[in-house]
Amino acid sequence: MGTITTSKRQLAWVFDLNKCIGCQTCSVACKVLWPGEDEGTEAMWWMTVNTQPGRGTPRGWEEMGGGYQEGKLQLGKIPSDEETGGGWDFNYDDVLRGGGGRGTHLRKISGSKTWGMNWDEDEGGGTFPNAYYFYLPRLCNHCTEPACLEACPNDAIFKREEDGLVLRDEDACQGAQQCRRACPYKKIYFNRARNVSQHCIGCFPRVEQGVAPACVRQCPGRAAFIGFDDDPGGVVDKLVHKWKVALPLHPERGTGPNVYYVPPLAPAPLGEDGGFKEDGDRIPPAYLESLFGSEVHGALDVLRTELEKKRRGQESELMDTLILYRWKDALGPLSRDPADIRWD
Amino acid sequence: MAGTTGNWADAYRSKWTWDKVTWGSHSVDCYPGGCPWRVFSKDGKIVREEQAGTFAPVEPGIPDMNPMGCQKGACWSHCHYSQDRVTQPLKRTGERGEGRFEPISWEQAFSEIADGMLDAIQDQGAASIINLFTPEPGAAPARVFSDVLGLPTTDGNAEFQDFSPGWHITWGLYNPTASMDDWFLADLTLIWHANPVYTNIHWYHYVAESRYNGGEVVTIAPDYSPSAIHADYHQPIRIGTDAALALAMCQVIIDAGLYQKQFVQEQTDLPLLVRCDNGRFLRGTDIMEADRDDQFFWWDASKDVLTAAPRHTLALGGVDPALEGRYEVTLKDLSSVEVEPVFSVLKRHLEAYSPEEAGRICEIHPDNIRKLARKVATRKTKIFIGWNSGKYYHGDLMERAMALLLGLTGNWGKKGTGTRSWAISGMDGEIFLGGKEAPGQEAAQKLIAGMIAMRRLIAADDPTLTAEMINNRMMKLAADADGAAGFPMPPAFLWYYQYGYKERWNDRENHDPSMKRSFDEYVEEAIEKGWWDPRYSKVYQDVEPRVLFESGGNVLRRQRGGQKLLLEHLWPKLQTIVSVDYRITTTGLHSDYILPAAQHYEKLGHSMPSVHHLNYVLCDRAQEPQGEALPDVEIGFRLLEAIEERAAARGMSEFIDATGKARSLQNLTDALTHQGALRDEEKRIDEAIRDSGVYGVLPKGSSLATLREKGHVRWENWGMILHGVPQASTLKPDEVHNPLRWHTEDKIPYDTLVRRAQYYIDHEWFLEAGEQLPTHKEPPNAGGGRRRFQMTSGHNRWSIHSMNMTNNILLNTHRGEPFVFINDTDAADLSVENGAKVKLVSDMGEVLVAAKVTPSCRPGQVILYNGFEPYMHENWYGQADLEPGHVKHLGFAAGYGHLDWRILSWQPIPADRAVRVDVETLG
Repeated sequence: MGTITTSKRQLAWVFDLNKCIGCQTCSVACKVLWPGEDEGTEAMWWMTVNTQPGRGTPRGWEEMGGGYQEGKLQLGKIPSDEETGGGWDFNYDDVLRGGGGRGTHLRKISGSKTWGMNWDEDEGGGTFPNAYYFYLPRLCNHCTEPACLEACPNDAIFKREEDGLVLRDEDACQGAQQCRRACPYKKIYFNRARNVSQHCIGCFPRVEQGVAPACVRQCPGRAAFIGFDDDPGGVVDKLVHKWKVALPLHPERGTGPNVYYVPPLAPAPLGEDGGFKEDGDRIPPAYLESLFGSEVHGALDVLRTELEKKRRGQESELMDTLILYRWKDALGPLSRDPADIRWD
Repeated sequence: MAGTTGNWADAYRSKWTWDKVTWGSHSVDCYPGGCPWRVFSKDGKIVREEQAGTFAPVEPGIPDMNPMGCQKGACWSHCHYSQDRVTQPLKRTGERGEGRFEPISWEQAFSEIADGMLDAIQDQGAASIINLFTPEPGAAPARVFSDVLGLPTTDGNAEFQDFSPGWHITWGLYNPTASMDDWFLADLTLIWHANPVYTNIHWYHYVAESRYNGGEVVTIAPDYSPSAIHADYHQPIRIGTDAALALAMCQVIIDAGLYQKQFVQEQTDLPLLVRCDNGRFLRGTDIMEADRDDQFFWWDASKDVLTAAPRHTLALGGVDPALEGRYEVTLKDLSSVEVEPVFSVLKRHLEAYSPEEAGRICEIHPDNIRKLARKVATRKTKIFIGWNSGKYYHGDLMERAMALLLGLTGNWGKKGTGTRSWAISGMDGEIFLGGKEAPGQEAAQKLIAGMIAMRRLIAADDPTLTAEMINNRMMKLAADADGAAGFPMPPAFLWYYQYGYKERWNDRENHDPSMKRSFDEYVEEAIEKGWWDPRYSKVYQDVEPRVLFESGGNVLRRQRGGQKLLLEHLWPKLQTIVSVDYRITTTGLHSDYILPAAQHYEKLGHSMPSVHHLNYVLCDRAQEPQGEALPDVEIGFRLLEAIEERAAARGMSEFIDATGKARSLQNLTDALTHQGALRDEEKRIDEAIRDSGVYGVLPKGSSLATLREKGHVRWENWGMILHGVPQASTLKPDEVHNPLRWHTEDKIPYDTLVRRAQYYIDHEWFLEAGEQLPTHKEPPNAGGGRRRFQMTSGHNRWSIHSMNMTNNILLNTHRGEPFVFINDTDAADLSVENGAKVKLVSDMGEVLVAAKVTPSCRPGQVILYNGFEPYMHENWYGQADLEPGHVKHLGFAAGYGHLDWRILSWQPIPADRAVRVDVETLG
């Protein structure tokens, strides 16, 4: 089993769920750049965005176990291919060149029959008119105490010293998939063609060049931020440590995730008579607590207080940070333009 | 310990390398587009793209526009190599729609298509060649034959229906809209008839950021829409009742005295006097024989006297126009008549829209209406609208009511206020390229001098004409000129006589019950009164279409009323059907020829010019076109050359065009390419960019070389063409753009009949329909009145119309098949399981689609987003096949000031929302 070492520095992601619009640009950017559609990677989406509440991807991942309980590694379930979902190819040739006319329509010819990476998009919970949902982007949490690392029987997973990325030596990986059991976020995929597991590599080749990961740099909603956890005055420091409005997902799983979320506000619900209930909660607070822990209530209070300040015409450092006047500020030290790089 | 030193790590590093970077964008009718991308190639293949993120900040204190892009753009390169790509000219070998084709040479394709066109001219005349307008700048050049030969082009805003009729009726403007960064400055954003979380992915952030800046966001929609989730309030509304809500807010505002009196007096027609005897405006000709018919009047409350409302300015000039009261006026025959200001009429009209009454209509709590009204009345407010309202049968009324709400509260013509529309067109340099005498910028100078002289000439008769009015008159002259480029025409008459709509529009049961007469009577009256040019209003009574040319569009997906109608009525008349595209569409499968176009990273171009981003964004050629694919402009030129050759071989040296003029069939590309000097793609675009510098749109000295360096450049001025002058604001280098400031700040009149924002329309048909003022009318029972559900729609999240829908990366980001949202309690009631295939049924047709069950959908509503390629459905019938494809008869009204046809503007437009359907389970 692997041994967790402390990295010198830690990169951390922050996603502002009040700006995330579920467009999947991050997912697509990652898919095109890394796993692609090679044999074995068809169903891999290292970055995904799901509608919450929902079953997400893999389907029902929150009930599959993993992580730590009282410091003890938990080996949960390996998601099945059907639960991971997707991996679809389609019968293009039949439809476009087969000569069958209306007798043949474009349909899936491979992959899961019952699920996809964004199958329950925009379904959500509640009851009309008080339905509710929000979008949750997820990637490997590059945990401070990665359960996958400890679970690996081949010592293939390591935490990179200079930035804390949790990476897998794919030459050492034997496809044991214990990491998939141990990861409480179920963000590790299995490549049958190569007999290795794979997960988000934190865009380490980009990070090495001073370029932000694709999911962050390509986010058109300007909802994604990245920076070093220990960079004083940096965006992570401000949102996570100073204002405490960015929280990890399922902190109770004990792995110390380094992806943080600004929790979602939601429109005022309607009372039974159809009138706006200004002080009501559209998203049940207990549901948010189940995702982000009890600190979510305080974080939402801070957000509401600071929003109110701006509405009164007062200054708010927090709101200004989230507004992100200059996009490059979201990229912290990784703001280099990739087009400036020349490979020799 | 392991590290990133092994082979595996180098394999990843190697994946993220390239040997070439080019600027790219997508020259499509994504809206507003304009996203600068970097396109990365390796070993002769495009490997990926990434947003450039290179926009400089514009106005201090306002977020920049980076990194504009979306998920479609992020995998556009994938479509270059996907299985639905077409890279060889194809000719049909089986039945139309069967999907049997053989590859042929370009020579054969062009020669046969040219013969088809010449046959059509000889058989039915030039009007029988139908060229469908689609707005993709990347695809339009394939249709260049239409410009050169003056053949008909259907007006795009009827084809795809992104027109905002209510804005036009109110402001007489082609699509005034703010730049996207202006949205940051709103104190209140009403997302209403729009779903920007799906459709404005690249700039929705300004809404979220305006909220963080102290603004509030309210989403008004039947469903808990994706754009509701980040709002402060979501106000659900019964489908199709939005006008009633807006009017109730107006009622509250007037009742509480919260309206902006001076703005109302100055900017709107509300103080103009209306005759109590016949409901018509008091006109100059009522008072005095020699006066103008378009002179209107106020009652000056300070002097208690009738006063002519000035035509040359909005400034009140010391007059205090009365908003209320009744006054007696002596007419030219010395009889007297009572008159009252429109405001008074409006106030009475609004009595029917108390919050309680409107609340019943809209199913909204009256207190919510009061609350929203007070917010609008006290804050800088924007209405974030898309092109959803205009697609409702009575969308004009909804928009007019919204415009009234903005007008009463002074919410336009200043930063952080107003609304939006589809403010696009072309770049001056490109549009005027063929109109210059010679290559070079001196000729461009000369051309612009000529146009300025023409403006002066137009203004000579009437010194009160504003720049907007002159521009609009020039547009009309250009469209009406003999052999106007592309002979643009409103296609409603073609549809009526040749596509099979006559029967549908005359079907009273499915149509608007408030129509007083048969549809036929209205069409005939409009033609008889000469409101529409007989070239397009009468010609299709006799001329049958023979050739259909579709470039970059997909009419069998798009056409409201469905493909069945077209396949039954239009297709049998056609002898040559051509689809120019980079992929095989449903229309392509029903065509006789599919011509392979270069993909967007395989040709030179620019993204769609748009007021939203105010930038010229270059699409460079990253790689040569695959296979035999050709840039669209090259297809256009070669087709013209083939027409020349075939005409010569057939002994045709000229033909009679649709206007009755003889036109030569020789040397067809000469004027366009300046005798070949500008035939080359690079030279051509370089010339267009340089000319745009001369015309003042781009910085002087701009060229292809400077664009290749910087990728994009912000406009400096509007230029002469469509989208510019109607913005009615001066473009400034360090400010966001908000339209209509010439009106609010400089008091320049509007180009409406009454020269003010016009809420009262006294056109005889509007009076007959009871629509002289914005009012609420229920959507007609299109699809069948007894049916349980109302279907709404809108642009989807995953594709620009259908063009990315078959990209399998994007298919993997949703269900991978067409689906319809249905409310969870409705689904339970019908025993419909999430994911089950259901049949949607209307009087027009049936569609098979998977059910997606959610509490976010309103009970009684089903949402079928548009853009699914018909061949993704079993049997290939999609959403449009449930729609009757009605147009509102008032769209045929004209001959009334600004209610007159101009390109992309006032004309009959089809409705496709609130169609009644049933949901049936299968087996």
